[in-house]
Amino acid sequence: MKDPMIEIRDLHYRYNDEKDALNGVDLKIYEGERIAVIGSNGAGKSTFFLNLNGVLKGGHGEIIYRGEKITKKNLNQLRKNIGIVFQDADNQIIASTVMAEVSFGPMNLKLPRQEVVDRVDEALNYMNLSEFKDRPPHYLSGGEKKRVSIADIIAMKSEVIVFDEPTAALDPLNAQMLEQVLEQLWGEGKTLLISTHDVDFTYRWAQRAVVFCDGKIIADDTPLHVFSNEEVLKRANLKRPMMLDVYETLTKKNILKDTQAYPKNVEEFAELIDKLSQQD
Amino acid sequence: MSKDRKLHSHGHGHEHGHRHQHGEGGFSIDVYAYASGLRRVNPVFKVLFAVFVLILTIGLDDPFVSLFVILTMAVLSIWKGKVDVRGYCSLMTIPIAFMIFGSVAIAAGFSRQPLGDYNLSLHFFYLYATKSSILKALFLILKAFGAVSAMFMLTLSTPASEIISALQRLHVPQMIVELMNMIYRYIFIMMDTQRKMKNSAQSRLGYCDFKTSCLSFGGIASNLFIVSLKKANAYYDAMESRCYDGELRFLEEEKKVETIEVLSAAIYLVVLVGIHIGVKCF
Repeated sequence: MKDPMIEIRDLHYRYNDEKDALNGVDLKIYEGERIAVIGSNGAGKSTFFLNLNGVLKGGHGEIIYRGEKITKKNLNQLRKNIGIVFQDADNQIIASTVMAEVSFGPMNLKLPRQEVVDRVDEALNYMNLSEFKDRPPHYLSGGEKKRVSIADIIAMKSEVIVFDEPTAALDPLNAQMLEQVLEQLWGEGKTLLISTHDVDFTYRWAQRAVVFCDGKIIADDTPLHVFSNEEVLKRANLKRPMMLDVYETLTKKNILKDTQAYPKNVEEFAELIDKLSQQD
Repeated sequence: MSKDRKLHSHGHGHEHGHRHQHGEGGFSIDVYAYASGLRRVNPVFKVLFAVFVLILTIGLDDPFVSLFVILTMAVLSIWKGKVDVRGYCSLMTIPIAFMIFGSVAIAAGFSRQPLGDYNLSLHFFYLYATKSSILKALFLILKAFGAVSAMFMLTLSTPASEIISALQRLHVPQMIVELMNMIYRYIFIMMDTQRKMKNSAQSRLGYCDFKTSCLSFGGIASNLFIVSLKKANAYYDAMESRCYDGELRFLEEEKKVETIEVLSAAIYLVVLVGIHIGVKCF
């Protein structure tokens, strides 16, 4: 098995004197993975992301990036290569035009001007924002702001992109757009970590589901295994994905033969039904 | 991808189409600046030009120069900048109130005896004014209006972000420039937050009478303070995650200064001085 890209060992973190927000987190992230991070509010997902990016410091534990232990000196290495798209775009957008905003990351990387211009244009184009270039962010809609916040990170060309509850404030159309972007980014070899409350999304999109509960990881497996584990679901207050329930109901009633071919989305389910009707 | 090409956010109760309804306030100035026909002009050039006009208007202290500046700046903003006349006039009314109150104090004085060319008995004392003091006040109003017009020309044609970056290039201290940047961005977020809180207070009868209104207002104000502290933290996290190292750096568009612009600006400034000298000679 290849080496993990990022390895987190026994990470603890607490805000001020409150109880531990992270309480011994161990995780290995491999290149090109698509990981869904799930768990109830306050389980420590956001804190974990901020630690992963080196924004929150002073916790116990180790973060190893590509075989190198992260210390204060090479912290920027982590920030350069791991980008976070924050939950609330309004908390991320700081500049007063879209172009300036997207340039903030590349400018901080101290790239030459032409390179910054190219990256900004590319990122804006990627997110279909080119015509909003000179627009101030306060005249954009929620979905447009979200796209700007994603373009921010694309312009930094980080290897890993972390999305903190990306669909929380989006309408269905924009959520669909987001899923396409995720697919595209993953196709380009990016490693994606997404925190979400959407179990159906996790089930159809993720290769791996990591469940947080009270600052700990209580499960780390394929979504199918995680959602089949009653105990984990109960502890983390998770619902089961609808597709899983539908499939199991059908197999239990002997309408479908249990071939372990779990459909992940409606299209796959339709295919399964098609096959079934052809057999009859 | 969303094909939502609307100019405006759904969140703000604010639209391009009705911009003249927001005759006052920073909002509409901002909108004019983004739509201005003079937007393509180099911002540093615009700032310098506006500042020179401002200095000349105040320095020459000549009512004819002031009048000329008021008229030409209005023409420039309306004709070249494409600001609608009604909008421009309503923006100009904002400083009027200040100027009238300020100049009344200069035009009028108090005295126990009837003095001056005009006086008004108020039983205990007289309110008086002389012809020269009234003239002085009028000239002062003209001068102030001239200065305001020059600044309006700048703000109506240059978005705040560009003015800030122009100031940065003119070597205004980094600290001030960054504060301006943050404050400008923050104004809109705070306004949005305040609007949401006010709406939710209103929906729970928070403004049903005077006393409740005061309480709601206080609650919103203190909550806004807490929220802004929290937001500041969230902001800082987001900036750090993008390698922020203590200095705000943004990419700026490079806008070329045309020779004709420099030439016309120089001629304009010479004309201002010329008017002043001409009036003195006659």
